[in-house]
Amino acid sequence: MTKSHSRRAMKIIGIILLCYGVLVASHKGEFWPFSIYPMFSKAGNPWTRAIVLDVTNTPDDEIWEPSTLSDLSVEPIAIGSYGVDQIDFSNFISKTENWTESRRNALRTMFGPGNIGSERWMTAKVNGRLVGADSVVVVIQPFLLVTADSVYVNPRLEESDYFRGE
Amino acid sequence: MKWYEKIADQLFEPNRSVSPGELWFFKFFELFIVSYVIKYAWEWGFYAQLRNFEVVLPLGLANYIDVSLFFQNQLALVVAGLITVFAVLAFFRLGTKWMYPLVMFLLHMQYVIRFSQGEIPHSSNLIGMAVFCFTIGAIFFPGKKQMPRFVMGSIIFFVGLGYTSSFIAKMIGTGIHWFDGRHLWLWISEKSIDILSREGVYSPNFLQQMALKSTAIASVILLFGWFTEMIGVTLWWKKLRPYTVTLIIGMHLGITMTMNIRFDAFVIQLILIGYPWYKLLDSVIKTTPDWIERTI
Repeated sequence: MTKSHSRRAMKIIGIILLCYGVLVASHKGEFWPFSIYPMFSKAGNPWTRAIVLDVTNTPDDEIWEPSTLSDLSVEPIAIGSYGVDQIDFSNFISKTENWTESRRNALRTMFGPGNIGSERWMTAKVNGRLVGADSVVVVIQPFLLVTADSVYVNPRLEESDYFRGE
Repeated sequence: MKWYEKIADQLFEPNRSVSPGELWFFKFFELFIVSYVIKYAWEWGFYAQLRNFEVVLPLGLANYIDVSLFFQNQLALVVAGLITVFAVLAFFRLGTKWMYPLVMFLLHMQYVIRFSQGEIPHSSNLIGMAVFCFTIGAIFFPGKKQMPRFVMGSIIFFVGLGYTSSFIAKMIGTGIHWFDGRHLWLWISEKSIDILSREGVYSPNFLQQMALKSTAIASVILLFGWFTEMIGVTLWWKKLRPYTVTLIIGMHLGITMTMNIRFDAFVIQLILIGYPWYKLLDSVIKTTPDWIERTI
């Protein structure tokens, strides 16, 4: 590579950088493989993830009870063993605003009705936040009960927790 | 000499002759990238085919194309097949110079098809950026005297920029108190739920236990990572590059230990681009085979 090639390369990189900037600025920081790499940029905010609990043997009047992580009395289901990506699953639960019939069926299909069989799987939202100066509290809130052929919403929650409208 | 010419000298080293070791290394590096491209294409294709049903979060070109079309009729696998064919042709320099651009376009599509479910992972970004640099190199800098230098130099440029960009994003998103150790506590607890969800069990490792016991230790861990990101652009200077890349690799190992996030392809690629491997190869290799000469 000569000096003139090297200068030309820098000019091309400059043009790419301009396109890079325009694309990430107009697509919320992400236009793969371009990114501003914003992960973990907003520190200290509460978070929401999701988990699946096996409530097959839990009495009906207890399945919708929220709990903390340390008080959890039922076994979590290892969704990775069913080929489900846990980050996709968490985002699917936390980012869906309107739990339409088709979205609920998508959740059931994501797990695979054959994998659920005769069991009852509770999809729960998990919220974490800083409390005071020195602790993190993690609360598990039952959200959707999934069986092989149906999905039930938590009757104790407000409708706005499932449908926020278009 | 202007400032950008000085950076260009560091990235592309125009005064250094092309050596056999450099060409061997470049072809090996290209094989690494093409292998990962094919791996991702099929992994993403199979996942999209089996698990995707609705677009939860449109990314990139998925803002303009309904990618749910690719969730059925094996279309995501067809895309994976096309990527494989074009990537192999590009590696052997068969067909036109537009093979890498085609791979780039299709791989972007495959990424947005697969990750239309809400996750925005960055673990494949370096591989994607490398394909992009091969794309530009194939169009504007073909040939053994230009392509290796442009591709490696431009990858190093964007990698360095990416880390410093991440530092700036944290400064803007949170401010100077970003490295408060309690923030790490929140992230450790968040990732612990991901592990519990994926594997059904979770127990903190030694480093996580130390960080959770002491705000000071947690703060030092964050501060080390943040400082390393800040100096990302020093990768552009060839004498500083091995030291900076060593710090970055250390940072990624720390992220794996504290937050259970693995960046395998990232780390392997950093090891490949961060050190002058061609010097080692030149000490044992004196010639370049014809097939390498032909395919660069």
